[in-house]
Amino acid sequence: MRRHLARRMLVVVSLLLLLLANVGGVGAQDPVTITWWTLASSESPEPAIRAVVEAFEAEHPHIKVDVTIMAESAYGDLMNTTIGAGEGAPDIAYFWETPWLPHTLDITDRLAADPNLSRDDYFEEYFNNWAVWNDRVVGLPFTVGANFVMYNRDVFDEAGVEYPTADWTPSDYIEIATALTDPDKRRWGGDRPRGPFRAVWRNIGATKPYSDDSTTVEGYINGPNSVAAYTWLWDLVDSGATPTPADIEVLGTEGTGPVDLFIAGRLGMATLNNGHMITAANAGVNFGIVPEPHVPGNERFVHAWALRASIWAGTEHPDEAYEFLSFWAGPEGQRINMEIGALIPSLPAVLEDYPDVDSDYFQGFMGVLNATQTAEWRSSHPCWRGAVVRAVSDAWDLIMLGEIGRDEVQATLDAMVEPAQAALDECVPRLGG
Amino acid sequence: MRTDGPTQSIQTQLRRSAARKRARRIIGHTLVYALMVSLALIFMLPIFWMASTSLKLPQEIFAWPPDWIPSVPQWGNYAEAFGKYPLARYMLNSAFLVVANIIGGLVSVPIIAYGFARFDFPFKHALFLLMLSTMMVPGHIKLIPMFWLYSRLDLIDTYWPLILPAFFGNPFFIFLMTQYIRTIPRDLDDAARIDGAGAWGILYRIIIPLSRPALTVVVVFTFVWVWNDFLEPIIFLRDWDSYPISVGLAFFQGRYSVEWHLFMGATLVSIIPILVVYFFAQKHLIGGLASIGIKG
Repeated sequence: MRRHLARRMLVVVSLLLLLLANVGGVGAQDPVTITWWTLASSESPEPAIRAVVEAFEAEHPHIKVDVTIMAESAYGDLMNTTIGAGEGAPDIAYFWETPWLPHTLDITDRLAADPNLSRDDYFEEYFNNWAVWNDRVVGLPFTVGANFVMYNRDVFDEAGVEYPTADWTPSDYIEIATALTDPDKRRWGGDRPRGPFRAVWRNIGATKPYSDDSTTVEGYINGPNSVAAYTWLWDLVDSGATPTPADIEVLGTEGTGPVDLFIAGRLGMATLNNGHMITAANAGVNFGIVPEPHVPGNERFVHAWALRASIWAGTEHPDEAYEFLSFWAGPEGQRINMEIGALIPSLPAVLEDYPDVDSDYFQGFMGVLNATQTAEWRSSHPCWRGAVVRAVSDAWDLIMLGEIGRDEVQATLDAMVEPAQAALDECVPRLGG
Repeated sequence: MRTDGPTQSIQTQLRRSAARKRARRIIGHTLVYALMVSLALIFMLPIFWMASTSLKLPQEIFAWPPDWIPSVPQWGNYAEAFGKYPLARYMLNSAFLVVANIIGGLVSVPIIAYGFARFDFPFKHALFLLMLSTMMVPGHIKLIPMFWLYSRLDLIDTYWPLILPAFFGNPFFIFLMTQYIRTIPRDLDDAARIDGAGAWGILYRIIIPLSRPALTVVVVFTFVWVWNDFLEPIIFLRDWDSYPISVGLAFFQGRYSVEWHLFMGATLVSIIPILVVYFFAQKHLIGGLASIGIKG
């Protein structure tokens, strides 16, 4: 009995020692765990996200990635909460809001020293506008996005209207939209812009709402080119060829563009983006793509963006976080997302292998990527998107609601100068010019 | 003969009067039922639209004129929705959270409300007002301090932040229950006390059994609130498999578009538990709300 007991004790002690040795061993080789928050979408679905983690961990056995996949609508609240609390934010995430930028890690030197990745690998404008802030590299542009006009070929054929071409003008847009409109079928020819001083505004010649040095509004918001752009909007609204904001609201389509109405054949043309393009292609819509209309002789602009993939400044593992960031937002990670999901990569060398790259619509999309981005001015003038655009919103609303006459556009914009100047003067000391 | 005439006439008049009353009653009931059926149909319209959309192809959803009943129902949309994300798992997670919160509420709310309704203690009214005032604080304001607190307690990515508060009482339910307990005659407490019951005995043998309508309100409202809660789960949970259904549904809303057909199918399935709970609890629920003086 005593011998049995002693043997059992020996076994237990041996097991304990083995366990302790193992625990010590594991501790000595513990991989560093970094946290990554991301979103599941049709461009980057959950299997693609898991595949990125798996491929990275296989290549980097000393790093473990703890991924949290969340819904788009949850993301902003969670980032605001954790950044606000000063703890709990992820090592790597999308930092797409301007107020989050001061909380990003400067990766300028790390990228410069990276033998496998360089800023030249990315589309230049996307890198400059979305990865650089205050002259430092604060992230890598993940995917590319851009607005363009999608037109439904079936609607055009039915109405007997010729397809638009890249050299079309804003007046052509109104003319074609009017020809496509059919009230009996509850069909509109086109949609309205979703804000002033985006691509079509600049294509008309209204380059900016205030001076480059952020001191003067007079002569810009109410200058002749701005008046021309607002008058074009007035003509478009007056044509009756577009759904009203109320129509869009009631029909419950997206804030990023009325893709559902377009897919349903109730919009002949719509200013949409590459995400919508893939949705429409998957739905079997027969469509084409052209750049937003512009006035001959003016520079052509595109309203474009990228998702800014960044490292949180509070990370405890900046080196490991950078290793993962350069993998995920570099060629390997974006290729995985492109092949498993439908991501359009921000690296030209990877984009060349996009499955539908030779399709007519994709070539149309590629055609807009090289235009000058409106973001170039917008991202260096943070007061426009917040304070000043609110101050001039009355002019926009009055035209959208059909509350003023065509000959009142100039006076309405003149009246906006004072509140816009006050908003600018108040904002610049806070956010910079 | 003389007497028969007026009697017959009276009887005839009575019969006519009764017939008129019956006709009026039938017309009245018919009108009321017609109105109620019409209203029910109007209120059912969004659910019908949801069901119809869940069976359509994407390009049919916003087509004009709308097809209320799709010519070729896409039953596969349901399989696609449940195959795309682990929605069944998310519904189970929601059910767990609901049960845990209901238990928390049923344990904490009657005790706290009983204290406010039956006992006198220093600063009772001030404490009651303080508790009520917490209802005025918007939820978003509490998020950062709550996140900070649970983060320090190392409870992020666990269900505890979503369950623990229920065990400390919800101010709305405490207020509701306090008001209800005040309507129960104190004579019953006195009678129980004479029979030897203490404060706990009175609570569990008298107050709680008589508070069933109010407790039903606690259960049903907790069910609906927790089932639909979106904000707190996204703040405190991280694991893909631990999300509740409210978060799972949000995955259908992408950055650029919404998969309406899948979203509607998944939403329709997700509201079934709430409808079932309402169906079985409606009698108690209406009684509970009416007795407390709160209109639903």
